[in-house]
Amino acid sequence: MFKKLLVANRGTIAIRIIRACRELGISTVAVYSTADKNALHVRMADESVCIGPPAAEDSYLNIPAILSAATTFGADAVHPGYGFLSENGDFAEACQRSGLNFVGPRARHIRLMGDKPRARRIMKRAGVPVLPGSEGTGVTELREAQADAKRLGYPVLIKAAAGGGGKGMRIARDGAELTRLFPLAQGEAEASFNSRKMYLEKYLEPARHVEFQILADLQRNAIHLGERDCSIQRRHQKVIEESPCPILTSRMREKMGKAAVRAAEVVGYSNVGTVEFLLAGSDEFYFIEMNTRIQVEHGVTEMVTGVDLVKESIRMAMGERLGLKQRQVKFDGVSMEFRIYAEDPERHVPSPGVVTNHHPPGGLGVRVETALYDGYRVPVHYDPLIAKLIVHAGTRAEVIARAKAALREYVIDGIKTNIPLHLKILHDPDFNRGEFTTDFLSRYEAAQPEAAPHAPVSKAS
Amino acid sequence: MSGNDPARRRVAVAGRHGEQMEVRDLKALLVLMRDYGLVELEIEDKKGKVRLVRGSADHAEAGSEARVAGRAASPIKMAIRHVEATEEEGTKAAGRVELAPNQKLIESPMVGTFYRAASPDAVPFVEEGSSVRKGQPLCIIEAMKMMNEIESPAAGRVIRIIAENGNPIEYGQPLMILEVI
Repeated sequence: MFKKLLVANRGTIAIRIIRACRELGISTVAVYSTADKNALHVRMADESVCIGPPAAEDSYLNIPAILSAATTFGADAVHPGYGFLSENGDFAEACQRSGLNFVGPRARHIRLMGDKPRARRIMKRAGVPVLPGSEGTGVTELREAQADAKRLGYPVLIKAAAGGGGKGMRIARDGAELTRLFPLAQGEAEASFNSRKMYLEKYLEPARHVEFQILADLQRNAIHLGERDCSIQRRHQKVIEESPCPILTSRMREKMGKAAVRAAEVVGYSNVGTVEFLLAGSDEFYFIEMNTRIQVEHGVTEMVTGVDLVKESIRMAMGERLGLKQRQVKFDGVSMEFRIYAEDPERHVPSPGVVTNHHPPGGLGVRVETALYDGYRVPVHYDPLIAKLIVHAGTRAEVIARAKAALREYVIDGIKTNIPLHLKILHDPDFNRGEFTTDFLSRYEAAQPEAAPHAPVSKAS
Repeated sequence: MSGNDPARRRVAVAGRHGEQMEVRDLKALLVLMRDYGLVELEIEDKKGKVRLVRGSADHAEAGSEARVAGRAASPIKMAIRHVEATEEEGTKAAGRVELAPNQKLIESPMVGTFYRAASPDAVPFVEEGSSVRKGQPLCIIEAMKMMNEIESPAAGRVIRIIAENGNPIEYGQPLMILEVI
């Protein structure tokens, strides 16, 4: 049993991890930058340590500072949460070397899945369907990309081999676009991941983003906890996620779930992870990538399965066995998550500032994960995700009605949020019918002049 | 170790700012509180912020809870309110240190363990009152088994050693006060 766990993160996920530790009787150490000294996770943890100045590279991404905090303050485990160092193989390895238990998969699994072309090769060999794309280790020269695109046929998706989070990703619809966008994507990849390695995939549209939650112990037992449909995205950033996927048949769930479990088993994966697929039509699916960490949207899976994924991640890291067999996993109702961003809903620019009044919604099947409080100043330095509203009910129609009520009840004064956008989506007929693909938001916003970027403020909404 | 303990300590920090106010101002405020039956009063002006609480500590907590009871009061929230009061003053992670114009605060550039000497049986690098050259080692911060010497940023005299030998240190935590010559 871990005695003291250092939470190497901030915001909503840091709070989520601290709560899980409280239940497990593990004491917690929060780390924070000078910009976060009044952050909620710092107040909630049993101990807190300032590790550096506001810039993430100097604090939440500063491996020596985090390890020094963990060893100096006597932690025996480190939970990376999501973002920051969560998918950094070097960090996982450095933790183990320092005698700290890393709550997550082994370093080699993080590195393997972080190398996207390599992950594609392994999945293909294991019989998991992958999208047609670049073979081998990827491409670095434009002419290699052009050759691949010619073979695949346009449109193609340009992706960073070390990618994630939509960085270094561009759609090219013809040769001219590829010539123009490849260097751009490559520049982004180099800046974000320090790697010029790229790869191409056939761009499939329309398609849904459907991902499967994996849970695996160190004894090589792996199960899946069903899927999440994350097709409501803006520029590859998820906005609304739901479980189950509204169009997935139980036959397809079983088929895709088996493929996801195979993806984990073939590499001997342990801890929580997510296998992402593209679903074209209702029965054609392709592996995109595996995320080797807890996801932002883990809450919807928790609501429909009743499994506490953060507690499980800690239990698995302690070497405990899975308490659940695949056939024992039961799905109950429907759950949706609405990501609340501190951003101007019309211009999509971050809106940091002081929250002058905060009232989160409540009631049956309404869960709020947030780091906000009255008087909290949302800092400019980090991701604008400030809250997650997670709604659970028996049917999808009930979830939508409950979510509308909860979003109207939600008070966050002093800063702008995307709550108005969520309410608009909830009134959209296609969304209500469950008929949408990953291009939903861009099409929806193009059709709504008042929601278009840079719309004049004076225009009535 | 409980979440409330730091909160209480910070209440005390918040109270210390009141020292900058004239004593007779405070007396006037206390009379005002008594006359109007107030348990807690927080006032901010150009000189700073002061929070006055009448009665025992428990009484004060109960009083403030009651005041915000209608708005989702919780211990965490109370803790934050108190911290908020000290935030604007530019306090560092471990509290505020008053400095004269010719004094420099030596803060830890990293998280680790503070040592005053190169090894357990060595003589400390400096004592209170020691004269130092610019670049002279003042102490060590051990981080990940690496001994990082902290050098004096200027020539001067160490007038106070704030950190305790062997204690864990945060980024930005005050270590010493240097009087610059």
